[in-house]
Amino acid sequence: MTNKEIYLKWAPYNIKWSSWVRPVPFIYLDSNVNEFIDYKIPHINYLKEVLPNTAIIIDINGVDSIKEGIALNKIGYYPIPIFNGTSSNKAMSTTNNKVIEPLLVWGAFELKEIKDDALPVFLLDENRLNRYKTDCGIFDNSWDVYYQDLPSSKYFLNNGIDKILVRANKINKDLNKILYDYQKENIKILFTNGFEPIKEIKIKKIKYIN
Amino acid sequence: MKLVPIPEEKYNNYRVDAIFDCYKWDPKFVDNNTLAKYVLVLKEDEYKELVYLTEKLDLETVKAEEFLNNNLKYIKKLCLPNKLVKEIKKMQNYDKNKHIRLMRYDFHPTIDNSWQISEVNSDVPGGFAEASLLPKLAIKTLNKDYYSIDFGEILSKAISNKIKKNGTIMFVHCTSYSDDRQVMQYIGDKMKSLGYNSIYGAADHLIFKDKQAISILNNYEGKVDCIFRFTPLEWLKDIKPKKWSGYFDTITPSCNHPIAIFAQTKRFPLIWNILEQNDIEMTTWKKLLPDTKEVKDFKEGYIYKPACGRVGENISIKEACSKEEYLKIIKDVKKHPKNYVAQKKFTSKPIKIDNKEYHICLGSYTVDGKQAGFYARISELPRIDSYAADIPVVIERNKK
Repeated sequence: MTNKEIYLKWAPYNIKWSSWVRPVPFIYLDSNVNEFIDYKIPHINYLKEVLPNTAIIIDINGVDSIKEGIALNKIGYYPIPIFNGTSSNKAMSTTNNKVIEPLLVWGAFELKEIKDDALPVFLLDENRLNRYKTDCGIFDNSWDVYYQDLPSSKYFLNNGIDKILVRANKINKDLNKILYDYQKENIKILFTNGFEPIKEIKIKKIKYIN
Repeated sequence: MKLVPIPEEKYNNYRVDAIFDCYKWDPKFVDNNTLAKYVLVLKEDEYKELVYLTEKLDLETVKAEEFLNNNLKYIKKLCLPNKLVKEIKKMQNYDKNKHIRLMRYDFHPTIDNSWQISEVNSDVPGGFAEASLLPKLAIKTLNKDYYSIDFGEILSKAISNKIKKNGTIMFVHCTSYSDDRQVMQYIGDKMKSLGYNSIYGAADHLIFKDKQAISILNNYEGKVDCIFRFTPLEWLKDIKPKKWSGYFDTITPSCNHPIAIFAQTKRFPLIWNILEQNDIEMTTWKKLLPDTKEVKDFKEGYIYKPACGRVGENISIKEACSKEEYLKIIKDVKKHPKNYVAQKKFTSKPIKIDNKEYHICLGSYTVDGKQAGFYARISELPRIDSYAADIPVVIERNKK
């Protein structure tokens, strides 16, 4: 498959939510990244079936995020990669944004048909925030998720979604800002670390400058 | 000027081709599709008029910035950040023939069938691939006898006229932002295809020795022959530790050199009287830019604009802002009046199509004084900001 074809597997034409798939990792997609990857689809502990009226945001390491997205797709969700990190070419970098690329190729083959009423699962990589530079020559290709990368609260509510489940190890600062705004617009925020049962949480306002 | 729709059955393929073949990596902003379903078609007469006006504006801008660089006593009213003012004093060795000067003037059609400009993007204009590859894709998709101006061709030629073959060009940008990288990657690939060594780094990946730019980017260390900067000057000044001082007096050819700061600030019109007193003509600017005043002289029918504003953000157009956003801007204007200007509001003339009205912002580039193509955006709201959609600009030949 070409890069375009792989992208179109994740973002098929005329399917609700598909236009939110971020193209960036697909542009120079390299399926031959030298990383050992276990392609086993994980078991989802926190969910047995589709939670009505609920979108999911997975914010764990990128490889597992895609695999968990595929696992959720098997029970009816639509996984939407919103990775936005760029390549450092041959420079040493803060973040390995390329590690997800073979997973996106693999996922394109694994994805089950996406129904138009499938609820969205937005896939993030928590490693995006690795921005520690040990040397001033290092290329900083860390990245943040911004409000513009996700649908508005109005769009969610108009499409029957009034809850967002965050599956993460913790709520990262950039996501916190977005979730706080959703909460203000009466969208409930739920949380699970993947093992413990889902619980409702209150997002506190934090001052965040990237 | 008219809008021509991309046929519905072709739009999906057009969008994907724009993403993969035209560096349009950001086709979505919140709920908005940022790739228009239309093409903006200019008549040849309109095109010629825009070329004429753009080049006249550019001539005035370049003369003004050179005058100001030699007469820094007059820039106080621009209220530039102190950190920048200190560095500006080093720009005395600026020679325009050694650098590449790139600007984009944003034109708007108005209800009295004339043009107004809202600003010049003097420092780091973007939209390169949208002004080069997207119009060609649109013409191919529409299968019509239109033509377009290839901005990338003109810019790359201007760079290659001043930089030795096989030279190293660093494309300086905010490396965490993919929407900055897409702009740099397009022109970087273009220069690579001409035999240049294109490298991508952040502002602090350059150091300066004897005024010569040197890359310290890991794996790409060494002398740099050209700096192509997409990090705005007002962001550069906040980078710590301070290694950016060398950008202001470097002998390494730059696009753009920090000389761009004088016209970048929206407070530029506040010193036109001084320029005119010194025989710098500002006639075209005065004709095309709405009346601009200090905030304290605000009148009914004026709007507030931030001096360092970008992509239409934080402009107090009431009907284009949420109430919350409007009040936030007003509060900030009261707190920091010198960071804003008051500008007479013009009434944009929208183009009607498919039972909707679209406002147009038509950016007209110059490269070293010559008009170099167009980058346009459309919006259903009169304020063209990040929610607006990119639209390719093509030209319809005069009927013989």
